[in-house]
Amino acid sequence: MKRSKTMELGVGLFMLAGILGMLFLGLRVSGLTFTTPGDTFQLEANFANIGSLKPRARVTMSGVTVGRVRAIELDTDWYDARVVLELDSGLEGQLSRDTTAAILTAGLLGEQYVGLSVGGDPETLGDGDTIRDTQSAIVLEELIQQFVSNMVSD
Amino acid sequence: MIGQILNMGRRGCEVLEALGRAGLFLVQSAVGWPSREGWYLWLRQMHFVGVLSLAIVLVSGLFIGMVLALQGYTILVDFGAEQALGQMVALSLLRELSPVVAALLFAGRAGSALTAEIGLMKATEQLTSMEMIGVDPLRRVVAPRLWAGFVALPLLTIGFSVVGVYGGYLVGVEWLGVFEGSYWGNMQSSVDFIGDIGNGMVKSIVFALVVTWIAVFQGYDLVPTSEGISRATTRTVVYSSLAVLGLDFVLTALMFGGLS
Amino acid sequence: MFDNFFDGRWMMTDSPFVVVEGLHFSRGDKDIFRGVDMRIPRGKITAIMGPSGTGKTTLLKLIGGQLAPDAGHVRIDGADVHALSRKALFALRRRMGMLFQSGALFSDLSVYENVAFPLQVHTDLPEAMIRDVTLMKLQAVGLRGARDLSPAELSGGMSRRVALARAIALDPELILYDEPFVGQDPISKGVLVQLIRKLNEALGLTSIVVSHDIEETLSIADYVYVIADGQVMAHGTPQTLDVDDDPRVSQFVHGEPDGPVPFHYPATDFFRDILDTERR
Repeated sequence: MKRSKTMELGVGLFMLAGILGMLFLGLRVSGLTFTTPGDTFQLEANFANIGSLKPRARVTMSGVTVGRVRAIELDTDWYDARVVLELDSGLEGQLSRDTTAAILTAGLLGEQYVGLSVGGDPETLGDGDTIRDTQSAIVLEELIQQFVSNMVSD
Repeated sequence: MIGQILNMGRRGCEVLEALGRAGLFLVQSAVGWPSREGWYLWLRQMHFVGVLSLAIVLVSGLFIGMVLALQGYTILVDFGAEQALGQMVALSLLRELSPVVAALLFAGRAGSALTAEIGLMKATEQLTSMEMIGVDPLRRVVAPRLWAGFVALPLLTIGFSVVGVYGGYLVGVEWLGVFEGSYWGNMQSSVDFIGDIGNGMVKSIVFALVVTWIAVFQGYDLVPTSEGISRATTRTVVYSSLAVLGLDFVLTALMFGGLS
Repeated sequence: MFDNFFDGRWMMTDSPFVVVEGLHFSRGDKDIFRGVDMRIPRGKITAIMGPSGTGKTTLLKLIGGQLAPDAGHVRIDGADVHALSRKALFALRRRMGMLFQSGALFSDLSVYENVAFPLQVHTDLPEAMIRDVTLMKLQAVGLRGARDLSPAELSGGMSRRVALARAIALDPELILYDEPFVGQDPISKGVLVQLIRKLNEALGLTSIVVSHDIEETLSIADYVYVIADGQVMAHGTPQTLDVDDDPRVSQFVHGEPDGPVPFHYPATDFFRDILDTERR
């Protein structure tokens, strides 16, 4: 049978394009990263209420993404949510011990993310440490409830 | 009355028989590793069903992504949530539109052509003569086409998604002025590689199996006349479209519907 | 049963190559064969003739093992075709060539590739040898110059000749011709008649020609079977058939329009039919 080079090339390109497309979907659309564990370090933070925070949500400082939420689980000692954060290793030993973590919302209905802001303590957080000072997610219903009860009591 | 019941019973038996024939056909042709020549036959079919379907799939993907962004924007902007546009475009494409629309286009473009081609080979006795030469047409004619379809449609679906996401970017970011960072950022934080892209690919693989199977079987099983070929081609498109849409519902319920 | 079979000059020395015994076959409710017996002599051209629609092509498919009979046997060189495993059947088919009515050339291959196809899939010959054999076969049918054409570019007669070259590519022992002369112009017919006879003489193969073209077929056949109504109606050498006084045989052999095989398809009385329409 006659072999056509252009046809073989075409199919080759087609398959290559498929693989590249999959890479694009993985990296650009779902935000997979191929960073090894050595490039990050972990901090923990306990929140009374995480709202609708999900694993892989962004962790930001001053609006700059510095890491992601790795895991969320219920802490059965305190019955609150323990959130494991994965941060760029460049920040290891840079964040003061009194750093606060807050669950914020992008826009009114947007995604929820964790915002960090540093304090003034000279001691710093290392891998596996826990952030003590946290601020829970604002739950819209609670806010409205508060607002309404304030109105009634006035 | 009794005649009607008998007739229904007979029709039921015919359907079961056809299903059995189709199943046997799939097993006989798709099982087994191709020879060196088989690889080349597969390559040729990849060109035919894959490369030549690329243009229509990519153009459709681009337009569907653009329409999604346009429609999504007008709804989201009412809630002040237009930064969630990327998320909306990506999720609708990856979970639903890419696998389904690509499969429907594939059935129309490649499936009908496969049916007609195999049907014509049957009508002109090429399949019989191949058998008489001592070559099994299931292995030589059917198997490369089946495998090419199995591989080509998932690849086309990936292409559809990529182009669709880009089409959404063109309309949403470049034209309507959604902030670029939130288009991609929102998308990345809400799209899960396994849960969304992976499940979409599973759908696409299932659709590839079903559409190619229907197309090739209809070609192989048809009545070898010109009328038979035209009927079989129509059947391919109708059956595959129905199968894709029906299976899509079942798969969606299994994957995202919380049934487990 | 085979009385006049034995006056043939060939039968004394050799056993028949193909034996058909008590063959029954039906499609749906319609009986196509009701007990057909045949003995196809080795190395000769045997013609199977009969009016259209008597299942001559079906008979070839039964001999080739593509259809299975309801009852009876087909033995090729002693092997029962329908008792063979799929693998053994395919092995047997390598010893057979078949020329289809439409030629049945593979439309995605060129003329050369079509003829080389059986060699490529069944032999381990080096490419240069395959090329030599292929060109030899194409030369035998006079189409070596057309090797690069695609089947779509060939005329009906040419594609039948290419198909013939493909059928003899593996030097088969048995070759089945399905209506080789149908729809051919006189020149092509002449060429095909000559080719079939020459191939038979040169390669010493056994040929079965299914046809209803009386003149051409009788001119090359060594022995003739006439089938009608699912049975062998007559058999003998062309000379004996020509003088056969059975009215059905003589109607067919001499091509008379009406006779025991009626011109009209069975119907009610013509005048009553017409009056019926008027009444409506």
